[in-house]
Amino acid sequence: MAQLERAHRGQAGHLSLGMPEVHAHLPGPGLACGVLHEIAASAYGDRPATFGFVFALMAAALRSRPASAVFVAQRRGLGDFGAPYGHGLVQLGLDVGRLLFVETESHKDALWAIEEALRSPARPAMVAGAVTGDLDLTASRRLNLAAALHATPLVLLRAPAAAGANAAATRWRIASAPAARDRFGALAQPRWKVALERCRNGRTGEWLVEWDHVAHRFRLVESMADHARLARADLRRTG
Amino acid sequence: MRALRAQTSGARAEPAHRPLVLVAPGKGGTRIVSLNRAARQGGLVEGELLSNARSKVLDLQVRDADPVADAAALRRLALWCLRYAPIVMPWDETSGADGLFLDITGCAHLFGGEERLLADLAARLKAFGLFPRLAVADTAGAAWAVAHHGSGRGGGIVPSGGEQAALQALPLAALRLSPSTQLLMRRLGLRSIGEVMQRPRAPFGARFAPELLHRLDQARGLAPEPLIPIVEPPVHRAQATFVEPVLTQEHVLEAASRLLVTLAGDLARDAMGARLLRLLLFKVDGETLSLDLGLAAPSRDAQHIAQLIGLRLYRLGSEFASEFGFEAAAVHVLAVERLAEHQERLGVAPAGDPRHDEGAPPEELARLIDRLQQRLGKGTVRRLHPRQSHIPERAVRGLPAAASPSPRPSRGEGRGLPSAKAEGEGQKLAPAFEAAPLPIMPEACPRHDEEWGEGGSSASRPLLLLERPEPAEVMAVVPDGPPRHFRWRGVLHQVAEAQGPERITPEWWRRTAERTRDYYVVEDVEGRRFWLYRAGLYGLSGLAPQWFVHGVFG
Repeated sequence: MAQLERAHRGQAGHLSLGMPEVHAHLPGPGLACGVLHEIAASAYGDRPATFGFVFALMAAALRSRPASAVFVAQRRGLGDFGAPYGHGLVQLGLDVGRLLFVETESHKDALWAIEEALRSPARPAMVAGAVTGDLDLTASRRLNLAAALHATPLVLLRAPAAAGANAAATRWRIASAPAARDRFGALAQPRWKVALERCRNGRTGEWLVEWDHVAHRFRLVESMADHARLARADLRRTG
Repeated sequence: MRALRAQTSGARAEPAHRPLVLVAPGKGGTRIVSLNRAARQGGLVEGELLSNARSKVLDLQVRDADPVADAAALRRLALWCLRYAPIVMPWDETSGADGLFLDITGCAHLFGGEERLLADLAARLKAFGLFPRLAVADTAGAAWAVAHHGSGRGGGIVPSGGEQAALQALPLAALRLSPSTQLLMRRLGLRSIGEVMQRPRAPFGARFAPELLHRLDQARGLAPEPLIPIVEPPVHRAQATFVEPVLTQEHVLEAASRLLVTLAGDLARDAMGARLLRLLLFKVDGETLSLDLGLAAPSRDAQHIAQLIGLRLYRLGSEFASEFGFEAAAVHVLAVERLAEHQERLGVAPAGDPRHDEGAPPEELARLIDRLQQRLGKGTVRRLHPRQSHIPERAVRGLPAAASPSPRPSRGEGRGLPSAKAEGEGQKLAPAFEAAPLPIMPEACPRHDEEWGEGGSSASRPLLLLERPEPAEVMAVVPDGPPRHFRWRGVLHQVAEAQGPERITPEWWRRTAERTRDYYVVEDVEGRRFWLYRAGLYGLSGLAPQWFVHGVFG
């Protein structure tokens, strides 16, 4: 069934990041839809930056797909830095009227809600989750299968320390970076240090990325990748 | 209307052979409020002084009357009686919590006739340890009269139109009259209802309180007497009684599904969809479990609603447990909304139009909301809405996604592509999802921007707002200048850049002790950005200004 769906939908399977340099590291032109992507903060204090990155992705997804997006948060996952603030989301360029917030008590309920949203014929534009608990191989495979059903972009915000084997296609690590100034010197567009830590069928990399909330796209500020390491990765890939 | 009157004795479940009275302080001392059969046989009556009663009956058991507990027990019983009829009203106007009215119009045939219904009800009430006196009549007044003062002939059932005859021989007390009116009638020598009915009406109406004729008219069906139901009567209702008590969630769900199929037919006939449903589960021990299900959008899809019930039962967990099981289940549809006739499910999307398959049916989102809400609880699925306020924490509110039936917060498709013109561009959009940069289309970024404009676009707002502002220690070069460094949650942040202030004054029409806030957007040397404010002003008497962290930027 899922395969049929995928075949039918064909190439609609990527959420473009708008940065060809980053796409070159990924197996497709953007974030693959229908599989799990993990996003974690590089330090505890960078957790707000991960929220910024995820909501930027969501704004892009909402822009390119007509449906609503679903954000599932475990209450404890939100506790430290507060809850997403409507006017802040609007300033990120997000269509807040099309965003559903789901709040759950337990990790288990959060995973259930994410899976339910993915399997729903409503076909959300994107599903994102902020969870605190463990995500083992079985749970992540379940999410992968559910996401593949309608080729929904799926992103999970993980705790910085979370590790271990799971079936996620990519793992990103986000750190804050000084925001871009506009021509009046005001803090304008948020920037993040984005590290692609793990990528199935792709290469790792590290970039400084800026979000353009008007055009709804990311822009590469500079590549921070370690070229020597990249070359080695290339060698491994070809050799 | 057929009204059923169930009268239960106030003294419950005590050894019936020993005289027992319930007492309460009254005029001239403690008086009897209620008594059991043995006490009545001993010659006691309601309203008697306890001291007199003790001298008449030797081993008299005395308990204090507890009207509150009586009312609660009667309410519990009334809820249980919903398995017989949708409209049940506990009656307590004159004699305390002493019985129930059931509107069994159109319900008796479900039990095989009025006699069968009465017999079934009597048997079950007896099994609870109650001694019911039951009567059925066309009017509530006549049913009350026969239940209280009837001879018991005819099984307490007054044939339709036979009130006049049934009331003839009954004493005037059967009309639910106040004690003063009863006393007056007795002094006039009028004892039975028949005697009053024979008298000319006009002089009676002129000389006595309207109560007498009003009650008489009510009993005869000449004046209306609406029953006030204990729970709101359903628009539609389906019910099943189980042969054997049912214990497991699966079986309850199966029964509910069958009821829902029946209801779906009713709703389809009216072109309506349910918005609010109630599942009633009647336990063998007389308890009633009542579950309300609100739907995000009207629906008559039995399968969907059954799924919601399943999720709800799952969330109940141990609360669901019933030692003896459930003997009946009912589903009430409490609120409906017009739901146009439409093709329930499109089999195949028209070929050659990929967009068709992109936009999911809008009711699917409502269903998703329903499912999430049933399992996770009320208010867990929300949408953010802007509110007209300058105070940041007040400028947004999360409303339950189901509570906004307005079609505007897009249910699925259509939001990003509002106009017909944009629809054309949508054709381009689908492939654009694939290839990178999207064209900037300010007009396709619609209405909500106006709504969210207030307090938003000009000044910076944080991505995450703390639940409540947290105090911070701030060092500033000049007292009312921007911070140099600050300590929040024990961590010292060196400020690289601070922009502000943005002054937000409290809303004067709210009488709060809030102070003027000067907000700064602060970026520390690590690139993390915070939203700080200084509450209060320098140079004013009173409290010194204080610094708070209110939010963080993504």
